[in-house]
Amino acid sequence: MSDSRFLCLEKLTLSYGKNVAVPEMDLDIGKGELVALLGPSGCGKTTTMRAIAGLMEPSSGSIILDGANITRVPANKRPVGLVFQSYALFPHLNVYENVAFGLKLMGIKGKQLDERVVDGLKTVGLSQYATRKPAELSGGQQQRVSLARSMVMEPKVLLLDEPLSNLDARLRLEMRTELQRVQKESGVTMIFVTHDQVEALAMADRIIVMLDGHIEQIGTPEQIYNNPASDFVADFVGFENVFERDGNKIKTLSGDVTVSGDIAPTTKGLAWRPTMVTLGEGPYEGTVRGTSFAGGTREYLLDTPLGQIKAECDASLPAHDFGAALKFDLPVHKAAQLARTGSL
Amino acid sequence: MFQNRAEAFALVLPAAIFAGAVFLVPVVILLSEGFRSGDSWTIQAYIDFFSQSLNQAVFLRTLKLAAMVTAAAAVIGYAAAFAIVNLPPKGKGRITGLVVLPLMISPVARTYAWIVILGRTGIVNQALVSVGLSDEPIRFLFTETAVFIGLLQLFLPLMIISLISALENMPRDAVPAARVLGANWLQVFTKVILPLTKEGLVIGGTLVFTGSMTAYITPAILGGSKVLMLETLLYQRVTMANDFVSASVIALILIVMAFAANLLLKRLATARNKR
Amino acid sequence: MRNKLYAPIILLLVLAFLIGPFIIIIAASLSAGETLSFPPQGLSLRWVIKVFEVESFRASFGISMFLAIGGTLAALILGIPASYALSRYKVPGAETIRTIVSSPIIVPGIIVGLALLRYFVVPFNFGILLALFLAHTALILPYAVRVVSASLNNLRSDIEEAAVLLGCSRTGAFFRVVMPNIRGGILAAFILGFVTSFNQVPVSLFLSGPGVRTLPIDMLSYMEITYDPSVAALSALLAFMSLGIVFLAERFLGFSRYV
Repeated sequence: MSDSRFLCLEKLTLSYGKNVAVPEMDLDIGKGELVALLGPSGCGKTTTMRAIAGLMEPSSGSIILDGANITRVPANKRPVGLVFQSYALFPHLNVYENVAFGLKLMGIKGKQLDERVVDGLKTVGLSQYATRKPAELSGGQQQRVSLARSMVMEPKVLLLDEPLSNLDARLRLEMRTELQRVQKESGVTMIFVTHDQVEALAMADRIIVMLDGHIEQIGTPEQIYNNPASDFVADFVGFENVFERDGNKIKTLSGDVTVSGDIAPTTKGLAWRPTMVTLGEGPYEGTVRGTSFAGGTREYLLDTPLGQIKAECDASLPAHDFGAALKFDLPVHKAAQLARTGSL
Repeated sequence: MFQNRAEAFALVLPAAIFAGAVFLVPVVILLSEGFRSGDSWTIQAYIDFFSQSLNQAVFLRTLKLAAMVTAAAAVIGYAAAFAIVNLPPKGKGRITGLVVLPLMISPVARTYAWIVILGRTGIVNQALVSVGLSDEPIRFLFTETAVFIGLLQLFLPLMIISLISALENMPRDAVPAARVLGANWLQVFTKVILPLTKEGLVIGGTLVFTGSMTAYITPAILGGSKVLMLETLLYQRVTMANDFVSASVIALILIVMAFAANLLLKRLATARNKR
Repeated sequence: MRNKLYAPIILLLVLAFLIGPFIIIIAASLSAGETLSFPPQGLSLRWVIKVFEVESFRASFGISMFLAIGGTLAALILGIPASYALSRYKVPGAETIRTIVSSPIIVPGIIVGLALLRYFVVPFNFGILLALFLAHTALILPYAVRVVSASLNNLRSDIEEAAVLLGCSRTGAFFRVVMPNIRGGILAAFILGFVTSFNQVPVSLFLSGPGVRTLPIDMLSYMEITYDPSVAALSALLAFMSLGIVFLAERFLGFSRYV
């Protein structure tokens, strides 16, 4: 067994009654990786995570962890931790008792127990809150308790369900670096589920983009951000102008339009971020339908024969008014070349 | 949601089987007795029951008293609930507590108190005689009035608490808004408060009506055999005549009336809403 | 405001109507005279003392206590698992089960008592006490399920999953993290069940036999025979008992939150 196949899902099928949520998924995750499961709600990412935790029984396929087949191992016997979206702290126990809960069940007592709990609380910076009840803590602190409670169990895999979604914007940034730090220091294999591409891009070593129960693309944040494999991923990471390609033409509202430039023969579609659209010159023309100032840049929504185009340019350039006609170009050399289309 | 069906059934079945065996099945058998004559099914028992003038009178009296108690509870209930919700929070909690308190006390004790008050030598009669309004004690006990008062005291708290929660769930600005738009207090009540609190009125009304319909203690103590209601009649038929058929008929009437009252009140509430 | 006096007057009248009778009954029970009257003819505790001397009151008090405590415990033993299943599992036919379990609240108690007498006690020679116990348990079951369900629904179900992932079995998770958090609701259900059973009359009406009857039934039949203030004294004592229980419950667990 190599480290790159630490956790393997093999032909894993997950269903709710007759509804198949995830059909035959294959996925390998390496030891010590920080992986994001990214996708819109209903894409099967939470279901997959619950199956890894053992909270949901697969209808077929297997889950291999560290060389052992854990598919039928009950949740309470799996070396897997889960930090719940709602934190799921035990309201009747204080912070210390929450963190000690799992250790006590493992039969750890006395000094050893105390050392591990104190250590766990220190890691997340909550030593002085040991006697507080969960209700007396802020959302961020509850999150840390929940993290410590799972971490002290020394799981082989730690799962986090939307770890930042219940925090306000400032805490979110703080928690991001905190989670990364804890992961790097402990070396635990960490998988977090999120619907927020910014979060996934910022934190993960590797991102798994899911849609409708299957994997759309796996890659590093740079790969996902710069080279989306499909129109769905492209749109999800901000390529808001997506077109299917046919030879040297792209399919638009007003029929096929010829574009010039090098396009790989396998490319099925082309996609441009708003910042990649050239404004003020070019072969196409559109009408300004909306404009908004976004600090350093200005965003435009154009009605064009190609369809609606979103463009963005430096705010220091002169602004174009609502209703103005504006020339623009979609330069092929900047475009992301998509290997697949049809999932949007 | 856990998915395991076997576990779910194992947890829920003991209670369901218990309630079914101890309660549902015997009651259903009892109700079916009213429709049996030898081996055939018939509604003869119902025809016989309603052809007797005593039974008719008891049936109508029960309906009348339950309706009157419900109406009186609604009027007093609105007045009291409105006064309570407008109290400052601390007073509101305390007064609500005092209103609920009687519900925790034995209805026998609650009803018995009225004997002391309404009896021949009770407070009311002493007052009437000493003030000179009456030459001799008036008989209150064993009259419909006594039963009415007893039932009202028993069930008024249920109406008040239903209306308190309804009034508290009403949008805070509804009444001031209606006042600003020029509505007088009567209009405010009929056009704003009533429609917005009808759910509480239906819940409270159903509780009070069915409670009064099926009350035993109050008519037994304050009505006696002079003011029979359906439950006291049922008791009398069984204990004095071993008449289980009439008991079954009355039982079904009570159950049907309870459901009918609920439906009727719901209907009234929605009809008012449509207008 | 124009009608500033409206609220105090209404409330005073309503409270006098609801609570006044108790004050009168307490006063009447302290009478030194032979018959029930108000104002009392002199003050004495003789009727309060008499209550404790009446043999049948002592016996029926014991039976009512047994039914209220035993019936409520039995209802909770049946009701807690059922509430748990209804709130946490996808139970097929959940609505039907809920209706069956809560049906004793809809049907008049007198009918339940009569049905038990006729189809359990008479044909199968069931003891009266057993029939009373079954009837009171069935009567309390809906309250137990309602109050416990309400506390379970206020508790997020992911704490059980969290406990399982930390090594608990499903049953262990229930006792370690669910029970401690619904203790207040269970206690509230117990008190509500106790008071309901103890004060219950219609269900017990037909279920009385030689030496076996509940206290309220015993009071009713005592009243038919004598007109002395001992029933008033007993009523007052029972009222104080109920109020004491409710007061303690409110004081120590905020009872009214659960009911």
